Amino acid sequence: MARRTPTAVRYGANFAGLLIVLVAVFPVYWMVTRSFLPRNRIRGTEQVWFPWDGTLDNYRRMLTGESFRNALTTSLAVTLLTVIVALLFAFLAAVAVSRFRFRGRRTFIMTLLLIQMIPAEGLFISQYKMLEGMQLLNSVIGLSLVYVASVLPFTVWTLRGFVDGLPRELEEAAMVDGCSRTRAFFTITLPLLAPGFVATGLFAFIQAWNEFTLALVVMTDPAKETLPVWLIGFSESRSRGVDWGAIMAASTLITIPVIIFFVIVQRRMVAGLTAGAVKG
Amino acid sequence: MRIKKTLALAAVTALLGVTSACGSDDNGGSGADGGPDEADLVVWLNGTDTPQEARDWLKETFEEAHPGSTLTIEEQEWDGLVERMTTALSSEDQTPDVVEVGNTQAPTFTTAGAFSDLTGDLEDLGGDDLLPGFVEAATVDGKTYAVPYYAGSTYVFYRKDLLDKAGLEVPTTMDEFVDAAITLKQQSGKDDFSGYWLPGQDWRDGAAFLWDAGGDFAVEDGDTWTASLSTPESQEGLAVVQKLFTEASGAPADANESDPVTPFCANQIGMMSRPGWVYGMLTDKESGCPELAKQIGVFALPGSDGEPAPVLLGGSDIAVPAKSPNQDLAREAVALMLSDDYQGILAEAGLTPAKESLASLLGDDEFAQATIAAASNAKLTPAAANWATVEGTRVLEDLFSQIAQGGDIADLAADADARIDEELN
Amino acid sequence: MPRGAPAAATRTPLPIGLIIPAVCLLALALGYPLIRQVVLSAQEFGLAQQFGQPPAWVGLQNYKDLVTDPYLWKVVARTVGFCFVNAGLTLGLGMGIAQLMTRMSPWARLASQVGLMLAWATPVVAAMTVWQFMFDTDYGLVNWVLVQLGGDFAHHSWLIDPLSFFAVATLIVVWMSVPFVVFTLYAALTQVPEDVVEAAEIDGAGAWARFAHVVLPTIRPVLLVVLLLQIIWDLRVFTQIYTLQKAGGITRDTNLLGTYIYSLGIKGGDFGTAAAAAMFMLVLTVVLTAPYIRMMIKQEED
Repeated sequence: MARRTPTAVRYGANFAGLLIVLVAVFPVYWMVTRSFLPRNRIRGTEQVWFPWDGTLDNYRRMLTGESFRNALTTSLAVTLLTVIVALLFAFLAAVAVSRFRFRGRRTFIMTLLLIQMIPAEGLFISQYKMLEGMQLLNSVIGLSLVYVASVLPFTVWTLRGFVDGLPRELEEAAMVDGCSRTRAFFTITLPLLAPGFVATGLFAFIQAWNEFTLALVVMTDPAKETLPVWLIGFSESRSRGVDWGAIMAASTLITIPVIIFFVIVQRRMVAGLTAGAVKG
Repeated sequence: MRIKKTLALAAVTALLGVTSACGSDDNGGSGADGGPDEADLVVWLNGTDTPQEARDWLKETFEEAHPGSTLTIEEQEWDGLVERMTTALSSEDQTPDVVEVGNTQAPTFTTAGAFSDLTGDLEDLGGDDLLPGFVEAATVDGKTYAVPYYAGSTYVFYRKDLLDKAGLEVPTTMDEFVDAAITLKQQSGKDDFSGYWLPGQDWRDGAAFLWDAGGDFAVEDGDTWTASLSTPESQEGLAVVQKLFTEASGAPADANESDPVTPFCANQIGMMSRPGWVYGMLTDKESGCPELAKQIGVFALPGSDGEPAPVLLGGSDIAVPAKSPNQDLAREAVALMLSDDYQGILAEAGLTPAKESLASLLGDDEFAQATIAAASNAKLTPAAANWATVEGTRVLEDLFSQIAQGGDIADLAADADARIDEELN
Repeated sequence: MPRGAPAAATRTPLPIGLIIPAVCLLALALGYPLIRQVVLSAQEFGLAQQFGQPPAWVGLQNYKDLVTDPYLWKVVARTVGFCFVNAGLTLGLGMGIAQLMTRMSPWARLASQVGLMLAWATPVVAAMTVWQFMFDTDYGLVNWVLVQLGGDFAHHSWLIDPLSFFAVATLIVVWMSVPFVVFTLYAALTQVPEDVVEAAEIDGAGAWARFAHVVLPTIRPVLLVVLLLQIIWDLRVFTQIYTLQKAGGITRDTNLLGTYIYSLGIKGGDFGTAAAAAMFMLVLTVVLTAPYIRMMIKQEED
C-alpha cells in the first residue's frame, strides 16, 4: 500500500515514526548507557546522558568464565525448539480449523480459547511434578515442551486468523491451472502467510527467551540455566546489594540475539511476500 | 508452634538432655538407614555471600574425610529461592543434601516438614553455644530443623565529622539518639538531609523503636496470636518512629531501604541503620565514595535503658532436606560448616559466626563491637505460623509508610491490627 | 466473511490428522497440571502437603474464603478498570502505529520496527529497573527534567498517590505491550488486498469508510485475538505492579488481582487458595469476554 501513499502523508508518517522510535527506545537507551557506568554513577544526583567516560567493567565481569556461554547455548536451544515446534504444530492446526469443517472442530477452538484464559501463575509446581515423572527435568526438551504448550493456543488462533484472511480462490485458481491442492497450498498460500509466521514466531521467541519462573525450577543444574536465570544470579547478593550495572549489561547482551533474530526473519518476510505476490 | 516461647525452650533443653543421654543412634528415627557411606553430596549456598575460601575449605576437608565421596556447591539466587526449594526439595532425585535458607524464610519450611530433624545433633554442633534466636525460630514442637549459619543485624553508621560539627557525642540512650538525629537535620538546614535515614517502608529497622518502647507486632495468647500495635507501649514506639520520620529523616515517605549508598555519598545522611557489609560498598571506589567513607563511625543502636536496643535479627540458617538420601553424610557436612575453622573464615569476611563463643573471631575494632552488641539483644518477628502471610500482604510496609506521611497513629495502628489478626487466625 | 469460510463438512481424516500434534502436545503438557489445579482448589494444600502430608478436602471453602472478603471486590473493580484502560490504550495506539507503518517509507518503517522490537525484547527486570530509575523520587530523570523546565517537582513522589501510581503503571504496561500489538496488526494489514482498497477509493469511499468496510473485515480475526489476549494479560498484570509497590506507594491502595492473589496464595505457600483464585480469575475472564465469546460461537456456526 505504501506505493499509493501521497508524499505529504508519507512525510507525516515518517516523522511520526521517528517520534515513536524515540519514545519506544528511550528506556532501552537509558539501559544500555547505564551498562557502561560504575555503580555509583548509575543512581545519583547527576544525570549521565552520554557515558563517554564510562567503563567496560560490567561486561568484562560478565564475560569471564563460561557461565554466559552456557546460558546462551541453553537459551538458544530452548527458544529455537519452542519456536519451530510451536509454529509447525500451530500451522497444521490452523489450516485444519480454517479450511475444513469436521467433528470436534468447535470443541477444539473453544478449548484453546479457555486454555488461553487460565492463569498460569500457580501452575509451575504441577508442571515440575509432571516433568519429574517424565524424567525431563534439566532437559531442553522438557522446558521447551512446557513453553510450546503455553504459546500454542495463541499461535493457533492467530495463524488461523491469517489463513482466514487469505482468499481460497487463490488455491482454486492454481488448481484450475493444474496444480494439486497440496501443491497449490505450498506454493501460493504458504508464502503469503509469512507475516503471520513472523508475528507469531516473534511472540513465541520472546516468551521463551524471557521466561523466568519455570526455567528457574526446571533447570536446577547450574550448567543448564537459561539467560534470565543467569542474569538474576549474576546481579544480586546480600553483601553487594543489587548490581545494577550487571543487570543493565546482561540485559543488553540478552536483547542483542532477539534483534538479530528479528532482522533475519524480517528479510525473509519481505522476500516471502514478494515471492507470494509474484506467483499469485 | 503454639507453645509459649519459654515452654519451647524448655522442651528443647529437655530433649537435648534426653538425646545426649541416648547417644547418637537416635538421629535416624524414621529409618534406620542414614544413607550410603559414599555419595556425591550437593550443597546449596545462596548468592555470593559465602567467600570462595570457605567453599574450597569445605570441599577439600569433606572429601578428605570421606574418601570416595564428593561435595559440590551449587550457588542459588535469593530471588526465586522459595520457588526452587518448594519444587526441588519435594523430589528425592533432585533435592540437594544441604541447603542455606534465610532465617526469616526458615519457619515456612520447618513447619512444613521439608527439613530433617536435627535435634539429636544439636549438642555436637554447638549446643547452647549456637545463636539462640536462630535455634528458637527453627524449632517446632520441640524439634529443631535448622541451625544458624551466620548472623548479621543492622547497626548505626554515623558521620564523625557531622557529629563533631554539631557538638554531639555518640548517643548512649534512645532519647539521646533521637535528639542527635533531629539536631543533625536542623544543623544541615536542608530538607532532603537525613539526621537519621529512615525510608517509609523500612519497618525492619523501625521495629527496634517499637520493641524498645515495650511494644510488639503481635503477642501469643494461649492458642492464638493477637496483633498488638494498638497497645499503649506499641503506640509510644510508633510515635518515636513518626518523630524520626518527620523531624529527622529526609528519605521519601514511601521508599524502601535497598539503596543507602547513593544518599550517603550525596552527603545527605548523618546516621543510618544498616548491616555491616554496607561499609564495604561505601568504601569501594566503583560503588561508593571512599573519601566520605573515611568519616564513618559505627555503634549499636542504644535502647532506653542504655543497653543495645532490640533490633531485628538477620542472617542465614542451614538445614538438611528431609528427602535427601544421604542423611548421615549431609549431617557431617553441616558439622563442618559449623566448625571453628569454617566459621572463622566467615568471620574474616565480616559475617557474624553462628556460635557465640566465636564472636571474638570478628576482631575487636568498633565494627566487631557494634556487630556483637547489636546481635546480643536482637529479636525476631512473631513466631506465628501464618506470619509469612502478614509479610506477604505488606501490612507493615503500608503502616510505616503512612506513619511517615504523618498519619494518625491510633487509627493506623488499629487498622493494621485488624488486618494482622485476619491473616494470623 | 465468505473469503475465509471453511469448506463444507468433510469426511476425510485429514483435518483430524492436522490437529493431532497440537492436541497431543497440549494434553501432554497441560492436561495433568490443569486437572491438578482444579483438584487443589478444593483442598487445603500448603507447603506441608507439598512435602508429603496428605491434603484435606475442604470442598468449596477456599472459594468461600476468597469471595466473602469485601476487599476482594474492591480489588476486582480496580483491576477491571485498569484492564480496560490499558487494553484500550494499547490497542488504540497499536492500531494507529500499525496504520502509520503502512504509509511510511521503507527506511522509516524498518526504524520503527527495530525501535519497537527493542522495547519488546528488553528483559522485564531490566526494563522495570530503568523505569524505577526514571521515576525515582530523589534522583529520577523525570523529576530532574521537570525541575529544569521550572516545575515544582524536586523530591516529588510519583507512587504515593494511587491515581498517580496507576498512571505510571499504565505508561509502563502500555510501553511493554504496544510492540506486540503493532507487529501482529501490521502483519494482518499487509494482507489487505490493495486492489479492493483502490476500487473503494475510486468509488468515492472516504478514508474512514475504506477502513471500516475493507480493512477492518480483513484483519478482524487477528484483531479479535489480539484484543482478547490484551484483556487477558491486562487482567493478570503482576510484575509491573509488584515491582512498583516495592519501590513506593501504599500496597493496599494499589493492589490488583495479580498481586493480591500472589500475596494470598503463593507467597504464603497456600497452593489451595492460589488454585481457587486462579479458577476465580478464569470465571472473571470468561464473564468479561462473554460478548466476544458469543460472537465467536456465532461466527463458527455461520
